Amino acid sequence: MNASDRITPQLAAAAILERLRTGPGYFLTNNERDVSQSDFKGRIMPATSLKAAPERDDTGYFAVEISGGASIHVDLLYKQIDPFERLRLLRRAMPNTLLQTVCRGRNLFGYRPYPDNVLRFAVELFARYVDVWRIYDFLNHVPNLKVVGEAVQQAGKLLIPSLCFSTGPDHTDAFYVSKAAEIVDAFGEDIILGIKNHSGVGSPRRIRDLVRALKTVFPRLILAYHGHNTDGNDLARMVAAVEEGVKIVEVADHGYGGMYSQAPALSLIQTLHDYGYQSPGLKIRPLVEASDLLRRERRHYQQFETPFRGFDPTVKRHKLTGGAASITFEQAEKLNLLERSHEVFSELVEVNREMGNIWSVTPGSQILWTTALNNVIHGRYENPSDDLKRLLLGRYGPFPFREPQQWIYEKVLQHRRTDGKKWYQILTDEGGWKELPDEDLPNRRGELATRLGRPPTDEQLCLYLQFPRDALDYFRFQEKFGKTWLLPPEIWFRRGGFEDGQRITFADEDGKTHHIDVISTHRKGNQVETSLLVDYHFQTYSTPVEPKDACRP
Amino acid sequence: MFKKILIANRGEIAIRIIRSAQELGIKTVAVYEETDKTAMHIIKSDEAVCIGAGPRKDYLNIDRIVQAAKKSGAEAVHPGYGFLAENPLFPKKCSEAGLVFIGPPMSVIDDMGSKVIARRIMEQAGIPVIPGHPPLPPGAEGEQQARAFAEQHGFPIMVKAVAGGGGRGIRMADSLGNLMKCLNMARSEARTAFGDDAIYLEKALQRPRHVEVQIVADGYGNVIHLGTRNCSIQRRHQKMIEIAPANLAPDLIERLCRDAVAAARAARYVNLGTVEFLLDETDRYYFLEVNTRIQVEHTVTEMITGLDLVREQIRIAAGDPLSVGQDQVQLRGVAIELRINAEDPKNGFAGSPGLVQIYQSPGGHGIRLDGAVYQGYEIPQFYDSMVVKLTVYGFNWNEAVDRLRRALDGFNIIGIKTTIPYYKEIVSDPDFIEQRFDTSYVDSHQHLLNYREEAPELERIARLLAEINARGRNPYAEPFAAG
Repeated sequence: MNASDRITPQLAAAAILERLRTGPGYFLTNNERDVSQSDFKGRIMPATSLKAAPERDDTGYFAVEISGGASIHVDLLYKQIDPFERLRLLRRAMPNTLLQTVCRGRNLFGYRPYPDNVLRFAVELFARYVDVWRIYDFLNHVPNLKVVGEAVQQAGKLLIPSLCFSTGPDHTDAFYVSKAAEIVDAFGEDIILGIKNHSGVGSPRRIRDLVRALKTVFPRLILAYHGHNTDGNDLARMVAAVEEGVKIVEVADHGYGGMYSQAPALSLIQTLHDYGYQSPGLKIRPLVEASDLLRRERRHYQQFETPFRGFDPTVKRHKLTGGAASITFEQAEKLNLLERSHEVFSELVEVNREMGNIWSVTPGSQILWTTALNNVIHGRYENPSDDLKRLLLGRYGPFPFREPQQWIYEKVLQHRRTDGKKWYQILTDEGGWKELPDEDLPNRRGELATRLGRPPTDEQLCLYLQFPRDALDYFRFQEKFGKTWLLPPEIWFRRGGFEDGQRITFADEDGKTHHIDVISTHRKGNQVETSLLVDYHFQTYSTPVEPKDACRP
Repeated sequence: MFKKILIANRGEIAIRIIRSAQELGIKTVAVYEETDKTAMHIIKSDEAVCIGAGPRKDYLNIDRIVQAAKKSGAEAVHPGYGFLAENPLFPKKCSEAGLVFIGPPMSVIDDMGSKVIARRIMEQAGIPVIPGHPPLPPGAEGEQQARAFAEQHGFPIMVKAVAGGGGRGIRMADSLGNLMKCLNMARSEARTAFGDDAIYLEKALQRPRHVEVQIVADGYGNVIHLGTRNCSIQRRHQKMIEIAPANLAPDLIERLCRDAVAAARAARYVNLGTVEFLLDETDRYYFLEVNTRIQVEHTVTEMITGLDLVREQIRIAAGDPLSVGQDQVQLRGVAIELRINAEDPKNGFAGSPGLVQIYQSPGGHGIRLDGAVYQGYEIPQFYDSMVVKLTVYGFNWNEAVDRLRRALDGFNIIGIKTTIPYYKEIVSDPDFIEQRFDTSYVDSHQHLLNYREEAPELERIARLLAEINARGRNPYAEPFAAG
């Protein structure tokens, strides 16, 4: 097979589906977004992605997932880059590769349901850059996928509605086939049906059976598998999936990840090669070079790697999604609970059992984890979060298998109620999946214009509707500091200040090199004066600091 | 030729004069006020004399300047523009002290400085003047005459101070009630500003264009013109952009230039001067005034003629005849000049004095800079806000505009606000590019002020690096440190 067998963004969605349906071999999706989120607290910086982009673009992946999940929020919070800008940059750097996102259905890129018109507005804007849309609902409640899925199809993009997968007595083939049928009813067969093994559970045989069951009922359906290698067994699961006819599997660069994220691409390619499977248009050399490059880059992200290195086969019990692993550990660390994490994990198993063994994936994973954490700190269900209340009220959708026991409803729903209402009354009066009234977009636009002091772009409005406070903070940052994503990660994450004489070099968007030399740092009272040579021009900046904040006496 | 001259001015024009003097082998003496002691003209001159504590009052002190000239051994004094340039007492005192005044004779300055006398001279010479009314008597009688004038010529009407000039001392009335109010205000303003409360009326033209003719005359009766300039783009009667030549029909240009020469002859003009006209929408033109000094915008004329006007001024003052005849004056191409000021256009063009942290300027073919600042210079709040005059030359209008745009992009000035971002909007404005502008341009193009002000990209990134350095970590990259 040669490079012309590649699937590229220049092909129409229908032609891509046709090639997947009838063409030979299997395809790989590089899930950079998930590797960053699972193993590096979401902190892989645009500069690194852009560095790896030419090699990745040359590799011949089906797609590279560089958007969605927690990344939109993390872009605004900790990377200070406009998620749309990041897409534009990567689109330019990877012109031959489909760009993929993962979207939490009605919860979009956030943690709670959004009104339908916000969902449509967001899909319309993101679809300008994103070719492949992996969408899921953490309760497998298919109506939650409806608005986003239809908007994606309307935009002419590839839709991967995904079944969240887990293991346990209720997680039968029949259950997943029935959910697949709901999905096919909703979107037709011109989709790619995803299996989302976000926790990385189940044996290769379990996956083989599931794929076989789906293929038996829906022989025309194109299948994709997304898994995590948390237990170290995802390679075997992917081999089983491909053997049963799954067309797309998700992998990582071997220079990266290696814990809660995807299994390495090259290991899978070599294995499947031996099994007689080829990936059309795939090149090994750039794939290896991307990893060589990323290995060198990885040291800049050391501080964001999980405190627990290596595989975690106990995921079979606690089922914590890979995408939440590094961030939950970070949270535990902040609460000084890292040493007691085994307790939290035991509680997590218990909480999930009580919730009816649902899928531990965003936002469900956050709800389960936070509940486990609160239960350990405050006592069981003594301090329930608002999101747990929403879950019990059925706001996200119905529990798929069974509802929690009454005493849990009582503790959670009656917590801090001042009206004396009993839990069953609350459930009757306030419970259930609700239609959300549409946002008044012109009004929100006006509100943002007032805050920004100028008319916002559609993209700014879209981000503001999803994350009002954090988006606004980002816009203000951007106004003040500009395109700081140009900085290399070792500068962005620098701790302890810079050395006098240190030279910071980076290229701008047009490839031109700039130098900023650190001349001196002086502390004057509560001000730190930093003198820099900015492209050979002397500049001094005064930064007010709290005494505890200052890097040097 | 003189061996040494004193320059009774500061800023870019002082430096401009120094340059020509140096080329003629003349030593230069700068004067300065204590509040202006870091100014660049001091650095550029051969000698410098502090004439007082300042600010501003000593640059206007004739006696001190004459004294400085005598003491330094200068033979002549160049007044530049502004300050004492059009004060007839200055040439008088110079002459009494045995100094040559590099400019027109006192009588010419006196005549042309009086709007009423100037009008009369022009009328006698057959040059069209705007319908006007002689100075109004005070009180009810003046009001009566004003009312009669309004009835005859209609509104709008300008109320002008007899002793005004350079755009100062002018009020516009668009109704009878408004006119009465203007009379009183103009009178009291004129009294305060010029020490003379005489006012007169003039019919105001609707959306006129400002076109002027550069003339130069020697002491031997030779008068020539150096073509036209269009200075219509003004803000509150202060010119912002000047263009040479004016884009008018050749026969119209010819008539304007001929009348300007006639005006100079009628005024018995010697040295360099400008005859200003207003053109209405039908290309009918009217005499406005004569400026008896070198003007800010003389650079555009120099660019298209190749002549050095300051050199010409000095030579004429030294008794030389004109160095060229009318036949030898050839106009070629188009020149545009912008006044880049330390002002904040978004804030009503308020002055923005302060430290010039970075000053980088453009260069290359067809670009001329007459600057007054240097990197590290603190622009004082006391004087005009000129940073640099940018003059570009192009083979034709489009080339000149392209070059102007490129030149503006080549500036990097940090530390003060400047008019550059506003000019960048103008050079991209279709009306400007198509040469559709008159004196209402600035007011009718308010949207050009809606540009976004952004610090240069690298400067903003550097600011973040300073923050990462000061705090010992990046507060925008870590959750616990956010905010």
